Amino acid sequence: MASRRLTIVGTVARHLIGALPAAGFGLAPGTVRRTAFARAWRRSFEDLGPAFIKLGQLISVRPDEFSDELVAEMQSMQDAVPALPAAAIRAVIRSEFGREPEELWASFDDAPVASASIAQVHRATLAQPYKPVWGVELPAGTTLAIKVVRPGAAESIRADIAIARSLMERVARMRISRRFDPIALLDEFALTVDRELDLRMEGRFADRFTFDFRDDPKVVAPRTVWPTTTARVLAMEFMTGWRLSEIETAKAHGVDCYALAVHGATAFMRQVFVYGRYHADLHPANLFVTPDNTIAYLDFGIVGFLTDEERMNITQVMAALVYRDPDRALKYSAKLGVDVPADRVEVVRTALGGLLDGTYRPDGTRDFAHFGLGFLKLLGENDIKIPSGYGLLIKSLATVEGVARALYPEIDIVETAKPFTTRILGQAMGDPARLYERIPAAIRAAMREIVA
Amino acid sequence: MTDDVMRFFAAWMLTHEAADEGLKAAVLRGDEGGPEGMGGGPDAFVDGLAAMVAEEKEKLKRDLEARARGEEVSIETQPDPALEDLRFEVGELRGRLDNIESLLETLVRKSGS
Ligand SMILES: Nc1ncnc2c1ncn2[C@@H]1O[C@H](COP(=O)(O)OP(=O)(O)O)[C@@H](O)[C@H]1O
Repeated sequence: MASRRLTIVGTVARHLIGALPAAGFGLAPGTVRRTAFARAWRRSFEDLGPAFIKLGQLISVRPDEFSDELVAEMQSMQDAVPALPAAAIRAVIRSEFGREPEELWASFDDAPVASASIAQVHRATLAQPYKPVWGVELPAGTTLAIKVVRPGAAESIRADIAIARSLMERVARMRISRRFDPIALLDEFALTVDRELDLRMEGRFADRFTFDFRDDPKVVAPRTVWPTTTARVLAMEFMTGWRLSEIETAKAHGVDCYALAVHGATAFMRQVFVYGRYHADLHPANLFVTPDNTIAYLDFGIVGFLTDEERMNITQVMAALVYRDPDRALKYSAKLGVDVPADRVEVVRTALGGLLDGTYRPDGTRDFAHFGLGFLKLLGENDIKIPSGYGLLIKSLATVEGVARALYPEIDIVETAKPFTTRILGQAMGDPARLYERIPAAIRAAMREIVA
Repeated sequence: MTDDVMRFFAAWMLTHEAADEGLKAAVLRGDEGGPEGMGGGPDAFVDGLAAMVAEEKEKLKRDLEARARGEEVSIETQPDPALEDLRFEVGELRGRLDNIESLLETLVRKSGS
């Protein structure tokens, strides 16, 4: 532990010192200096392995807590590591099942499909027909993706979390972050990582996703093959298609980018506003598209959950954006825990109105990221604490917007949210209890308007 | 006398017409959207809702016409969501059992060897 601590401190120090010239030895203007140091932090995290890569991913989804420069750097962090030899992966499988891969599946491919800091993915084929949790039976011979947690990943991550704690306190002192609560962030981090290390959670969520989108054949997720799945080994359907990061190839094969962009954005809105659970780790490597314009979602490691009440309030805030209504945004943000002090309400309201009106691009479409990140920043500037789920949701929506616009530059994702928010709020309004409560006032208002 | 009845119906018709025009204008504003279309604020939501209601009305009209022609209408063919939920829960339970069963097999295998 002591030597690991030295490694960590040494790595960070080396990168920070390396950044000094670029930062003008601390004398360069604010953004230049912050960018140089943020890059040094990102490189250190990449060198230090899984725990820090995860930590960086967590920082990248918290624009409310960290500087823009740091968030941007952490978003560009690479999670590609050299593949482990198949023997090491086979050893994990053996220790999980007490059997060889060939006894579990009809075949197992030693060449990895992909390799990341926590897990490595291999191809295999199903030995016997299997009826998944939802949908048609998978015949024997179906191609599977086997995701295996790297040996030692769990242990090294847990050990690193402890050390990361002291390091994060140093980050706080270096003022890279605004109003920063390291303990809360690390608790959140430990929880996220624990969840991600148990692949059964991921499998369960992917099955639930398949069910949620059962009426939409164009949106799919890999279904889990439970008899050959454990906490450290996830067996699932193999998805074929192009990663969104290979969109140029996909285009050449005649994929309809406009349809995909609209459908993809709509599917995300449905997750948030209808189901209150959403894939919170979208990036172009986790989305596949197929020649028949189907979207496959992969990697349900980070999932956002909303209670029914949060879901309704979020819907209201989105409606406020769709219909440019700052009062609605403030009222329902307050219900989500955004606590604006009375003496700040006017300032925040005016700024918010400006943000809502300023989200239009020259082509007339709206820029969600501009609003979302602007809103978080506005709250930050006014020392208003942001509830933790809020930042994650805004980051996810901004990512969806980025992905959709990469597919089709003129898409307006706020517009895709309009039917959902309007319908859901409309439905909630039709609740008889609410009608009973509101109708008398509505009638009185109508009469007042007529006799005025 | 006839005059009064005429005026009554005229007032009724006028009210009706004004309400209809008001609603149509709302639907139009809601359809427009964009920076030039509807203005922001609480009224904009009402306009947007009106536009969606108008769409729903057109759909209802189409459904009724289809039904008059003796065609099947989409609403009636949709499966019961509660039943679907139950089927999913059962499926998920089966998945968990599959998983536990294999875990048990592993334990037996390991303690046996
Ligand atoms: N079901 C699958 N079908 C096909 N490829 C897959 C599947 N699951 C994962 N992969 C491949 O493995 C890569 C990494 O998997 P992922 O679940 O994202 O791991 P991590 O959580 O470590 O990033 C994906 O980008 C994809 O290329």
